[in-house]
Amino acid sequence: MSTSHEFFLMQLSDSFFPSGMFGLSNGLESLAKHKKIKTDNDVLNFIEQQIEFQLIPCDCMIFLIAMDAAKNENIEELVEADKKFYSMRLIREARNTSARSGSQILNCIIQMASDKEENRIAKQFQKKISSNETPGTYPVCLGITASLFGIPPESGTRMMLYSFSQSIIAAAIRLGIIEHVSGQKILTLLSSKINNISKNLKKEPLDNLWQLTPITDIFQMIHEHDSSKMFIT
Amino acid sequence: MSKNKKIPKVGIGGPVGSGKTRLIERVVPVLIEKGYRCCIISNDVISKEDAERMQRVLSTELKVMPENMIIGIATGGCPHTAIREDPTINLAVIDEIEKKDPSLDLIIIESGGDNVMTTFSPALADYFIYIIDVAGGDKYPRKGGLGIESSDLLVINKIDLASHVGADLAIMERDAKKIRGEKPFVFVNCQTGEGIERVAENIIKSILFDKKPIAKKDRIR
Repeated sequence: MSTSHEFFLMQLSDSFFPSGMFGLSNGLESLAKHKKIKTDNDVLNFIEQQIEFQLIPCDCMIFLIAMDAAKNENIEELVEADKKFYSMRLIREARNTSARSGSQILNCIIQMASDKEENRIAKQFQKKISSNETPGTYPVCLGITASLFGIPPESGTRMMLYSFSQSIIAAAIRLGIIEHVSGQKILTLLSSKINNISKNLKKEPLDNLWQLTPITDIFQMIHEHDSSKMFIT
Repeated sequence: MSKNKKIPKVGIGGPVGSGKTRLIERVVPVLIEKGYRCCIISNDVISKEDAERMQRVLSTELKVMPENMIIGIATGGCPHTAIREDPTINLAVIDEIEKKDPSLDLIIIESGGDNVMTTFSPALADYFIYIIDVAGGDKYPRKGGLGIESSDLLVINKIDLASHVGADLAIMERDAKKIRGEKPFVFVNCQTGEGIERVAENIIKSILFDKKPIAKKDRIR
């Protein structure tokens, strides 16, 4: 990997990158409110479970499929993966937020990489979003982004898992569940697991996608109806 | 960069309790009466209460706009992030509004209650109104901050409370002039509506100058 890829990797993983992730707790707020998550260890377990039962079998797969489809300029496959992911997001607010975040990331990177020829597929996909032919979900748009900046799949997967973990930890700190040093400890504890997954994860066919996080789903549904909340979901 | 010029956008920011929501509830009927069609996005830190209140006041009670033209967004603990560093979700909602009704004249974006350093991303708002209230003391304009200094219009609310809290409006006027130079400021009382017409005039003069208001006979509610 060249140093320019490393730079883009840092840029895209940074919480300062405008992805809208700061507004999400991915169910943590609701679980904490109902006393299901109270300690540093609970936060760590929650992240590990979401990675194992949501991100590895679903989000990361979609990301890898999108990266590959973008590289091959296969717009049909991108749209198919996008629709599949959208249909698998059971929680309305999670579904809508993923589409809002994804389409805005795409808008941002098209402007960032206006001089790149590989921009073509990103623009094509953006047109599909504008004409309501596809929703433009976060992992698909992130996959297009990673492909555009020449980020290898392994690094891209690591970036995605890191960004997810980091956003949950940030939410936990803001909710007052953990303090800032604990947040960094949790990230450190996750590092070897994230590195192993990134190294070994291989793209699978769309039909093999699955997810199983029923407790988080139920608490996210409860969260949708809460009158007072800090996070979108 | 990504500035979307299709529908002009006004950002309204200010501290918690300064009267952002009440200002919108007052100024929107004036703009609608003048023939401008508006949509409101309300960013709230912990709920969608402000959006629901505006739906009740503007849609149910005053019947000046449809309920689906008032959209609430919960921004988490970072109201400034949602309107400045990472306006992603607001921009996405604006895209949806522009797709749904490109004939709108104006989108008003209310920030969650924040501190005196609030500013809007230029990608999000074409015109920035910062509101403070006299109950914070007459030192407020003098102390400055990006909102007070750099906003396109400074609104000083709750002038009826000045005598009760020992605030001198003359001092506030002097300091606002000093710190803002040529930039306008308006004293208002959002309870009675005093000064609201001037706020509406400033918005029209600054960003709606090329919009043709709809004549009363042609309006569909």
